[in-house]
Amino acid sequence: MKSTNLAAIVCTAAMGVFMGSFPAQSEHVPPPTDREIDYSPYPKEDFPNSVYFGDTHLHTSYSTDAGMIGAILGPEEAYRFARGEEVTSNHGLPVRLARPLDFLVVSDHAENLGLAPLIAESAPSVLANEWGKRIHDLVKSGKGLQAFNEWVAAMSSLDNPFAGDTTMATTAWKRITAAAEKYNEPGRFTAIIGFEWTSGPNGNNLHRNVLFRDGKAEADQIIPLSYYDTGDPEDLWQWMADYEAKTGGRMLAIPHNGNLSNGLMFDDVTLTTQQPLDRDYAERRRRWEPVYEVTQPKGDGETHPLLSPNDEFADFDTWDKGSFGSKPHTEDMLPREYAREALKRGLAYDDKLGANPFKFGMIGSTDAHTGLATTTEDNWFGKVAMLEPTANPIRFEEVIIGRVPADRPEETRIRAAQTAAAGLAAVWARENTREAIWDAFARREVFATTGTRIRVRVFAGWDFAEDDLYRSDFARHGYAHGVPMGGDLAAAPDGKAPALLIRAVRDVDGANLDRIQVIKGWLDADDNTREKVFDVVWSGNRRPGVDGKLPPVGNTVNIEEATYTNAIGAAALQVYWKDPEFDPAQRAFYYVRVLEIPTPRWTTIDAEVFGVELPDSVPPSIQERAYTSPIWYTPSG
Amino acid sequence: MMPSLLREPLLYFVILGGALFALFNWTGESAGPEDRIVVTSGRVEHLAAGFERVWQRPPTQQELQGLIDSHIREEIYYREALALGLDRDDTIVRRRMTLKLEFLTADAAEALDPSDDELRRYLEQHPDTFRLEAQAAFRHVYLNPERHAGNVNEVAQRLLERLKAGEVPPEDVAALGDRLMVPAEMALSRRGEIERLFGRQFADGVLDSEPGRWSGPIESGYGLHLVYVSGRRDARLPALDEVRALVLREWLNSRREEMGEEFYRRLRERYTVVIESPASTPKANSLADAR
Repeated sequence: MKSTNLAAIVCTAAMGVFMGSFPAQSEHVPPPTDREIDYSPYPKEDFPNSVYFGDTHLHTSYSTDAGMIGAILGPEEAYRFARGEEVTSNHGLPVRLARPLDFLVVSDHAENLGLAPLIAESAPSVLANEWGKRIHDLVKSGKGLQAFNEWVAAMSSLDNPFAGDTTMATTAWKRITAAAEKYNEPGRFTAIIGFEWTSGPNGNNLHRNVLFRDGKAEADQIIPLSYYDTGDPEDLWQWMADYEAKTGGRMLAIPHNGNLSNGLMFDDVTLTTQQPLDRDYAERRRRWEPVYEVTQPKGDGETHPLLSPNDEFADFDTWDKGSFGSKPHTEDMLPREYAREALKRGLAYDDKLGANPFKFGMIGSTDAHTGLATTTEDNWFGKVAMLEPTANPIRFEEVIIGRVPADRPEETRIRAAQTAAAGLAAVWARENTREAIWDAFARREVFATTGTRIRVRVFAGWDFAEDDLYRSDFARHGYAHGVPMGGDLAAAPDGKAPALLIRAVRDVDGANLDRIQVIKGWLDADDNTREKVFDVVWSGNRRPGVDGKLPPVGNTVNIEEATYTNAIGAAALQVYWKDPEFDPAQRAFYYVRVLEIPTPRWTTIDAEVFGVELPDSVPPSIQERAYTSPIWYTPSG
Repeated sequence: MMPSLLREPLLYFVILGGALFALFNWTGESAGPEDRIVVTSGRVEHLAAGFERVWQRPPTQQELQGLIDSHIREEIYYREALALGLDRDDTIVRRRMTLKLEFLTADAAEALDPSDDELRRYLEQHPDTFRLEAQAAFRHVYLNPERHAGNVNEVAQRLLERLKAGEVPPEDVAALGDRLMVPAEMALSRRGEIERLFGRQFADGVLDSEPGRWSGPIESGYGLHLVYVSGRRDARLPALDEVRALVLREWLNSRREEMGEEFYRRLRERYTVVIESPASTPKANSLADAR
């Protein structure tokens, strides 16, 4: 016999023996069970697991106060730049972000939207209008500045040169929404449709950026509400409600620059009717304005040194010389201008009215009028096109606040050197899509940074323990047993105090962290608002001094070379912290502030690059920071 | 400041490309604009001085040529604009403008409709724009240098040996190392996604690691990481179907730029350009010399 045949027989026989030794298979299979077997944990996981960084407040040439003074980059260039491409700046410099943004809102001013680019095209909608034609001709004959001044005059007297004619606005708006659709790439980059409603009664800043959850189909059904239409935020909220009813869409509004409002931003009375705030107002404001833009080039609005005298970090990019109007700024306005104080007063209102009108999360953004969303000190392309990087003294000396009246004393002026190099908005979401990011704003699971990509997470709950910091399923546990930033705790169980689990990591390309702080605000037994800053964890071996203050982390900044090193600080910090002073009967909020080690300010970097002198009005180095949205505690009953 | 305001209308002028040029011919303007441009030495000096004010150094030869070219371009467009009567208000001008506006606001895809072959060619000619990034799926164990005073490298090596030898049961790996607020595990993710969380150095290291085994330590801005790559996909050029919308968008951008260039080129041909040599010639030919 051939060996293969023998092999075949042997194999078959062996298999027979083999099979024979197995009784019917079914006896070794486990019986069916009623228990639900969940193997993979991920399909059910729906909590946010990523941070996305973006800008909610960028202007392009389509904003008249940008396009008429030298901004030529439009929404398309703005999106390309935000996505990481190199573009040419308005003054011809090549510019690129070190790392792309995850999302962007092109939020051009609604007031005469698109005027500048449409003048450039000699668009019929502009020429058909007598005023438009005149301005157009001025621009074409090289008298652009005069044209701009004429527009400013019309704007200041709230005399809309295009009143009753929405052709130009419609054309411009549809291009803006088209650009958003073109560059919106779910999963990779989100373009959120938006605009800025630029209310400024008497030059007092009440601006809001409006963000759409929706796409072009819904957004095109309206044209943006402008300050010509109304300057009262309550009218804006009504308009927003009308939009939602009409289109089935969603929108929210983000105010900014309370510090330039001469006390109007967080006022105790309504704007037009001058009535004390009531419950209905509080509920509406809380619903339509879930987030506040607390930090941006025209000042950091977290708190003011006079409001928080015990906070050694309170005086940061402070712009407190009043608004764009001529009325001087007085100290009594401060409590109605800064975020921390407003959050505290919100607790008092909650107690009195049954609703909190100032219940907002916090983010940062650029408000750049260049189309370039730059936010880091080493890449700051200025607030407006003419302030793009240059050795020209205008970059430091241009007057921003205090232009009117012309004879205003120097100490009431703020100049360009004092602009901060912009903030960033950061959201916790599950995916990079319009809906996920907008929803994060709506539920306030967001935080502000002053331009760098610090990442910070906080959970507050009644049952956390120190060990939870080390869990490998940290986030899942946090969401299951507590609330994230922007959340609410209520009705403390007997004998328990809120415990916070906080984690922060530095910007992966940036500077180490100095410390993490918890800022608590509360309403005490005498109905006074109080605040306290706790240093909860820090780098190195420092110990608080006899005065209770933690020593500074140090400073590695070489001013002449505009460099720093990470020889101090820590790449990551985490801490478990329980409120040692908790009173379950008192309303409170907690938010986290994370500080970096000192790094060179953009003015120091400019001085090194261009060989100009350091300005006196600002420090050579700064500590960038992040502010989370608060977690609110409400007693029962 | 002023030059950029002047440039603004012309930028849109350029976008029109061939369409407007054709229109221009259609109107039968026989007497063309004055077609001689002289760039005086004074103008050249003025351009150089403006540059020096910004950059605190004189321009190189190349940069100065760039400034002169820009100036000539602006001058040509300006004259053409005047010739077209863009500063006048009459029916012909209005009709031209209507066409102009329609061109701009019309759906570009309808005005220019490339074939699949054209798009495929564009895709192949611009691989860097469309290449899909390499991807990796991995888990990692992080070691914080601060928690291993001075000997984090030894700790890393020892841990790596244990992991390679299979001494750690899979369910216990998550508890190893130090905590960091980054995912302990990433499903198949693009290089860019890995970079934004861990930095470029780490992303490079992960994409260079052989899948299926523990390796490292790889350094990131946060410290050291031992890495187990469980999946990899190389960077590749996608097929047109996968990225058609993106290719179309980029192709249209390119075409618009090309049309603008073509338009300018044809205008330029009609002019004679004379550049006077400036009183002071630039001393440097390259940036290195200029410093």
